[in-house]
Amino acid sequence: MENLNPLPQQQVTIISPLIKKKPVGHSGSLTSEQIIQDLLPQKFGKRGMIWTAVLLIIAMIGAFAYYRQLRYGLVVTHMRDYVSWGIYISNFVFFVAISLVGSLITAILRLANVHWATPLTRIAEIIAVSSIVFASIIIVVDMGRPERFMNLLLHGRLQSPIIWDVIVICTYFFISLLLLYFPLLPDLKILISFKEKSGRLLNKLYRFQGSFWKGTAAQFRISDRAINILCITIVPVAFCIHTVTSWLFATTYRPGWDSTNFGAYFISGAFLVGAGAVVVAMFMFRWAYHLQKYITEKHFEKMGRIVVLLALLYLYFNINEYLVPAFKMKKPEEAHLTELFSGQYAPLFWFAIIVGMIIPIIVLLFKKGRKPLPMFIAGIMIVVGAWFKRYLIVTPTLLHPFLPMEDVPASYHHYFPSWEEWAIAMGSLAGALLIITFFVRIYPIIPIHETITENENAE
Amino acid sequence: MKTLNKTLIGLTLFLCSLTTALSVSAQDTLAQPVVKLHYFASNNNIQYLSVETVTKSGKKWKPLPKQTVTIFLDSNSAENLISKTSTDETGKSTVVIQPRLQSQWNNGSKHNFIAVLDENSTTLEITKAKIVMDTVTADGIRTINVKIMFLENNAWVPASDVELKIGVSRSGSSILSAGEEGTYTTDSTGAVSVEFKRDSLPGDEKGNLTLLAKVEDNELYGNLLIEKKVPWGSAFVNNGNFFDQRTLWSTRFRTPLWLLAMAYGILIIVWGTIIYLVLQIVRIKKLGNAV
Repeated sequence: MENLNPLPQQQVTIISPLIKKKPVGHSGSLTSEQIIQDLLPQKFGKRGMIWTAVLLIIAMIGAFAYYRQLRYGLVVTHMRDYVSWGIYISNFVFFVAISLVGSLITAILRLANVHWATPLTRIAEIIAVSSIVFASIIIVVDMGRPERFMNLLLHGRLQSPIIWDVIVICTYFFISLLLLYFPLLPDLKILISFKEKSGRLLNKLYRFQGSFWKGTAAQFRISDRAINILCITIVPVAFCIHTVTSWLFATTYRPGWDSTNFGAYFISGAFLVGAGAVVVAMFMFRWAYHLQKYITEKHFEKMGRIVVLLALLYLYFNINEYLVPAFKMKKPEEAHLTELFSGQYAPLFWFAIIVGMIIPIIVLLFKKGRKPLPMFIAGIMIVVGAWFKRYLIVTPTLLHPFLPMEDVPASYHHYFPSWEEWAIAMGSLAGALLIITFFVRIYPIIPIHETITENENAE
Repeated sequence: MKTLNKTLIGLTLFLCSLTTALSVSAQDTLAQPVVKLHYFASNNNIQYLSVETVTKSGKKWKPLPKQTVTIFLDSNSAENLISKTSTDETGKSTVVIQPRLQSQWNNGSKHNFIAVLDENSTTLEITKAKIVMDTVTADGIRTINVKIMFLENNAWVPASDVELKIGVSRSGSSILSAGEEGTYTTDSTGAVSVEFKRDSLPGDEKGNLTLLAKVEDNELYGNLLIEKKVPWGSAFVNNGNFFDQRTLWSTRFRTPLWLLAMAYGILIIVWGTIIYLVLQIVRIKKLGNAV
């Protein structure tokens, strides 16, 4: 066994006032040293190296495709006059949606005094930060002329939801970053004390970020207060970010988007995909880093209940969104709805509904379905279904404008992304996963200090 | 025997496909540039030609851009040259009949326009015609009277059975029919009368509407157009203040005050909180350094 430095006394004796209740998970029999050893960041193994290499290759192919787009213009995409928001905007909406999980797991559960979610908070927060970073990047990619981005701020109209989106994304990014940083401070102190394990370079980084954290009562008081303020602030900002994203569509008069329900519909979908992503990440981290003692079956059980509730809620909004217009079948919306229900997009539409919602609901309603592996499969289904759902929200509507498409080239009548669009979209997904991967390599994915204090509390 | 049959069928199919391919290829190589001429007379005093160079691609006509076409009046000689013109990217060009050809133009009731492109020539025969428009208002009923005549033996003769559009000029060079029919046809006296049924149509600032009578691509007379302004519309009131209002559809300098207050209010509260939290990090740092 590796010789570990003793843990500084004040780190385990000063307990954050936020942690009061007995957590779900480990039995409380673990020693602080054991927890630290289990949760300290680990070097990539063979599997980790392959995983990182694959992600890097996908990201590099995406970067090359983006180079081509910059070199030759947006003509390399298959977006034309009608479908001007293609796979990029679908991807953007997907990223914004998934980023909302930070506010759900960290903020809402913390404010509700739910402490079993403590091991999941950092997973949720890093998913939120990486997603929001790539949501911002993908929107610049969609612009075609990134050097003109500043014009949006210099000449932007405050009346436009696009400006609101830019503002709220920046705000959400900073709040998520702070929510990641404050709880990390006590862990940085622990990381600094294990210089031999982390290496010189990483230790330098830890010192830069948190050498001032001594774990005094006054520091904890300020930090806990800051986390509380962040948890309160992030909830309305998170609601704003996805409501505004939904308004990008709902304020545009088009079949499928002309809805007063879009804000709630988008937010419920966002919570579902975010929770699904956390389940997938929980399973992967648990498996890759042998965290069975920290991310237990009880965590899956409880997350399963949350996911099934969110899936039912999102299904309810979907029924509202599609059944009511289909019942009326207004002439201008008919082509759009028919295309979704039984036309060209029907396989994708029913895949998103059945695989992305109905099957996970059925699986997770049963106790056996809320075991780690079925949960992981359901999580994958939810995330994949959610990605296609965003594609379905964006593209078919643009192909069915209220005015007929006349005297336009044949290619304007349909849309399927070019290889460059696929490469950039997949590259952005790989990029978001790379941020999470590198984060896990550098920082503990389960909060060490909180786990130790909760463990002591449980004893 | 079976093998022989298969071979024969295969050979026949091969020959058929080869023949088809050769014939398609021959069609492609034989596709010649073609000049299409259209004659226009606007308000009976401006005569011009629209020149279009095209080629056949499969069953469709395809524009042939950047072609030089020489246009003659009546005969292919230097003194009868109207113009040498180059077509644009869409294969189109416009040629105005030169004033130096006026005497020749006045001499005769029919004329031929000859267009020469490379070794191909196209001829368009036109009978000189004029179109007259008059308006009458009686008992509150507004009527548009149009008459078309063509030149024959130096005399203007009524042109009967000519189809034309009569209406009001609207944006995008479209014509809103003045009556209930889309098109009208001249009677034996070359005349047609249409009751104007477009009340309260927006006109210019004085309420003027531009009435139009238009003959399109007539085999004998080409394209004829006559315009007349009449005060039959409602005066357009320029609402200069429309874009000066603070509305959601105004420019960024005219943002509604409530939106400004709301947006900046939220920004100040949220970013004020973020700044406060950053300052808390500074406080934590100071406390740590003091230990």
